[in-house]
Amino acid sequence: MRPFEYVAPERLDDALERLGRADGETILLGGGTATVLLMKQDLIAPDVVVDLGRVPELGGVDARPDGGLRLGATCRLVELEDSAAVRSTYPIIASTAHRVGNVRVRNVATLGGNLVHADPAQDLPPVLMALGVTVTLASRRGTRQLPLDAFYLGFMETAIQRDEVLTEAQVPPPPSGFRATYIKFTPRSQDDYGTVNVACALVLEDGLCRSAALVLGGVGATPLHIRSAEACLSGYPLTGPRIAEASRLAAEEIDPWDDLRGSATYKRAMARVWTSRALTALTAEGPEGGARR
Amino acid sequence: MAAPAHETTIRLSVNGRIVEARTGTDVLLIEFLRERLGLTGTKESCGVGVCGACTVLVDGRPVSSCLTLTVLTHNRDVWTIEGLADRLEEADSSGGLRRFLDVRRAFLDQEGLQCGICTPGVVVSAYALLQTIPHPTNEEIADWMAGSLCRCTGYQSIMRSIRAAAGVSSPEEPQETDAGQERPAEPGGNGAPGCHDAPV
Repeated sequence: MRPFEYVAPERLDDALERLGRADGETILLGGGTATVLLMKQDLIAPDVVVDLGRVPELGGVDARPDGGLRLGATCRLVELEDSAAVRSTYPIIASTAHRVGNVRVRNVATLGGNLVHADPAQDLPPVLMALGVTVTLASRRGTRQLPLDAFYLGFMETAIQRDEVLTEAQVPPPPSGFRATYIKFTPRSQDDYGTVNVACALVLEDGLCRSAALVLGGVGATPLHIRSAEACLSGYPLTGPRIAEASRLAAEEIDPWDDLRGSATYKRAMARVWTSRALTALTAEGPEGGARR
Repeated sequence: MAAPAHETTIRLSVNGRIVEARTGTDVLLIEFLRERLGLTGTKESCGVGVCGACTVLVDGRPVSSCLTLTVLTHNRDVWTIEGLADRLEEADSSGGLRRFLDVRRAFLDQEGLQCGICTPGVVVSAYALLQTIPHPTNEEIADWMAGSLCRCTGYQSIMRSIRAAAGVSSPEEPQETDAGQERPAEPGGNGAPGCHDAPV
């Protein structure tokens, strides 16, 4: 690892000011689990590291008055697991946070760091995309909101600009009849990235699917919204044949590649299997059925 | 030598003692503990946060010291395997360290170690588990310990040691394939958490 200048601002304005200065490669640090690893491997070698951990306005997990959630960028994944607000509003977020890495990672890694890392096999991005989450990006030029769909551009590539800080994620309130599940298929070890990740959020009313969000991770350069499958499900009863058709469409729409977690062919086959199982679990169980998977 | 901008002064508590030091920004906590403070009980194995050998407690929670920048422990409370062991001599009104004694004794009684390289991390992690969940189920033990790798004894004796330390013994004796994996297919089939790419 190359030595660097370490800066730990205590106000967001100071962090933005430092980031706005163009003096060498500057990187933001949340918990550092991903960043320090990349630095140790000399994949990145920043001149300046700006530690966001001491900026109070970036932390915290809050229930919004409208029933949604505000998740601060520097909240730790363990906070998402333990937060009463998260567990009561969206247990799917708490249970998904628990699936990330191991306990040592979750004690340190932050939500903001997790989101900007943009490895397509991560756990939280597909779930938060399926929930319609928006992130707030701040710079000295002002702030802007981006849905996660528009945030992820490519493999480890996001829409965040060099002078911007991801300050928070906003989660809209769950509609009535909301159910969600996340399946992380890990044929190797529990703490591995998934081979195929399936996040599914539905609004169900008397067996009828009012709306559907299906996002697959690990099977393309970014988490992928499977629009064709969503269209196939929305407005129809969730019958076996419809689930089979949606799963077939999901396997068709993804863009996996061969790697150490499986061949593209295998991932396509598994995407079909696990999409079908996720949808079946949601029809069979109560609200947030299957969320502990 | 690092340029002045590449050094910083930190103040932290290590094993209950205040430490003030000037350190390079790129120094990792495991380097600081082992090379600067001589606390060599904490081991480095994989170096990428996967194996758990370097586990220490920061503000009571287990972390990988091989991925922790020392500067990030400024004003924090760090405990290593040595500190937990030494403190046993002292009065312990909370009963927390008494639990460490239970964990240590259980690993000896139940043969929860062989070569010992993973043991400091495993024991610190097991202690943190029991501080968080005093009477864990097999599933909770396996889930928590999944990030700690052992290449000698296998995981059954480690599970057994932790159950003994927690006072939850045999009725929950798991099957051979049940060491914490909730996945359908398992190459090798011994239930061992494998060593794979670092999670984020």
